[in-house]
Amino acid sequence: MFALGLLTIVALAGLGWAGAPPIAEQPLDVPQQVVQTQKPQVCAHTLLENEVEAVKILRSLEMTRELGAATIVQFFPWAYVESRQGHYDWARADSILRLARLQGLRIIARLGLTPGWARPTGTTLTFLPDAAFAAFADYAAAFAARYATDIQHIIIWNEPNLSAEWGFQPADPARYARLLAVSYARIKQVNPAAVVLAGALAPTLEKAGSSVGLNELDFLEALYKQGAGDHFDALAVHTYGFRAPPEAPPQPERLNFRRVELLREVMVNNGDSHKTIHITESGWNDHPRWLHAVRPSQRAAYTIRAYQYAEAHWDWLEALCIWALRYPVDLRGYPDGYTLINAEFLAKPVYYELKAYARGWSVGEALWLPAPDTG
Amino acid sequence: MPRRACHFLAVTALAIALCVLAILPSIPPDRQRAFPTGTIRIGVDASYPPFALDADGELRGLDIDLAAAVAREIGLPVQYRNLSFYGLYDALISGEVDVLVSALPIDAARMDDARYSSAYFNNGLVLVAADGAAAVDVKNLAGKRIAIEYASSTDSILHTWQADAGTIQRLPYELPDYALDALRLGQADAALVDNVSYRLYQRGRRGWVSTSQFITVDPYAIALRRDNHDAWQLVEAALEQLRANGELARLIANWL
Repeated sequence: MFALGLLTIVALAGLGWAGAPPIAEQPLDVPQQVVQTQKPQVCAHTLLENEVEAVKILRSLEMTRELGAATIVQFFPWAYVESRQGHYDWARADSILRLARLQGLRIIARLGLTPGWARPTGTTLTFLPDAAFAAFADYAAAFAARYATDIQHIIIWNEPNLSAEWGFQPADPARYARLLAVSYARIKQVNPAAVVLAGALAPTLEKAGSSVGLNELDFLEALYKQGAGDHFDALAVHTYGFRAPPEAPPQPERLNFRRVELLREVMVNNGDSHKTIHITESGWNDHPRWLHAVRPSQRAAYTIRAYQYAEAHWDWLEALCIWALRYPVDLRGYPDGYTLINAEFLAKPVYYELKAYARGWSVGEALWLPAPDTG
Repeated sequence: MPRRACHFLAVTALAIALCVLAILPSIPPDRQRAFPTGTIRIGVDASYPPFALDADGELRGLDIDLAAAVAREIGLPVQYRNLSFYGLYDALISGEVDVLVSALPIDAARMDDARYSSAYFNNGLVLVAADGAAAVDVKNLAGKRIAIEYASSTDSILHTWQADAGTIQRLPYELPDYALDALRLGQADAALVDNVSYRLYQRGRRGWVSTSQFITVDPYAIALRRDNHDAWQLVEAALEQLRANGELARLIANWL
């Protein structure tokens, strides 16, 4: 999500662009835990890369486990790990991985963000020049090798069909296909069992030639035309409900939760029906001052119904990840309406409903009472 | 350029200059410093009724009327700029507008750039009971049936109350209006809703008598640039006058 980019930029600005903030590493000797869940598809997107205190990383992961989510999507920015060319600093990633492992959580890793040395001066962190594709692939391979026993799923970049996530350049499926090819090859060299995910594609209606991006349906079709089908094992997708209920039927000119079915059609039409989809961002927003938001009651109900719909109809879906578990700080704007937990670790009602669903504590129960009969 | 045309232009320019000079002295210095354009430029997000809405190109709502009343008190014309909620502070800081009147909660994180007026409305949560009922005593809710909007902030508060006095019966409804319906129909002892929902509900049911008390405070205020002290003083004085003469209460009652 673009808001993630904002968070990252804010974090980097605070750090003087020198790399990741130091973790106040503490001897967090916590016992090994196991996720108790009845719904293995339940997943949350965490934002631990910008968290300073290890105890907050731990608490975030504990609340993910308590939620009954067996999987997290977590960003491991290249710019943090290799802020100096040729020098990998894995301390932060190691810490996140260790704490996640202790909570029994599986990680889907998202890789992206270009360090300053790998891009021209004046470009943004999301700008990846062709000349840096190999260096990015080296990072992806080093990551895949280092965490081969714990992390199998690796997403190459984020929302490459949006200009803002592609260095404010026009969305370019051919370039992304080349990045995917070189990254795939390098990762497979060091960890043949790794699952390389293409995407994650953002939901948008932009047409070809737009300066904002390219709709994900055309983008994926173009990827296949570029031969990218040979260079990913599964597809990562972002799909949001906005104001529509989860059951609203998909249409190419409409953004809603089931829009992912249109991407599935593209995959099937291109002979990729054997590949799975991971929805690595999803959800509804209940911020009172955002036009695309729903009421809190709708948000909770739609979220649960989305999981129920996916379970009943999408046998090709591996994970449905909520954006987002928590931000390190409340953003004081509509993005806050997406989180399950606020910055002070107070769980929102939607968190409790999702927990009851994931843990199997409520099955088919009405979330609210019927409206009183006013005659 | 012909000589006659030059003469005409010179006379016109002189006339305009005299007019400007005639107007400027009529604006006291503080107003001139506060609003150098001679107009109060108001930033508003007209997508949040009943505070502000765009009715076929015409801005209407409590904030629109309040801004007009404040401008009248100050003695300057008003000009509205309809902005997205998330562009309001940028417009204020960049000088595109002078004042924000847009149901803005007072936000401490904005105070490096913005200065707020005193609050003109409290949209905190209210505990509502039927008139004369005892259930509105927050310290004595044990055994009471409390209607709330499911999954809202009221739901979170009720969870904490239940932790303190576990016998509270939680009645979740999809909408605040349904929670108030339950109270009105005797299916609940109290309803916990936000003040705007409560006031709007009452407007549609004039015959229904209820009592309420604030449980939380969520003040809405006017925001100005922090460095524009003159403007803040003028707006604050105008608000005070509107409070004193009852106009603010009338404006609120017109919409809520």
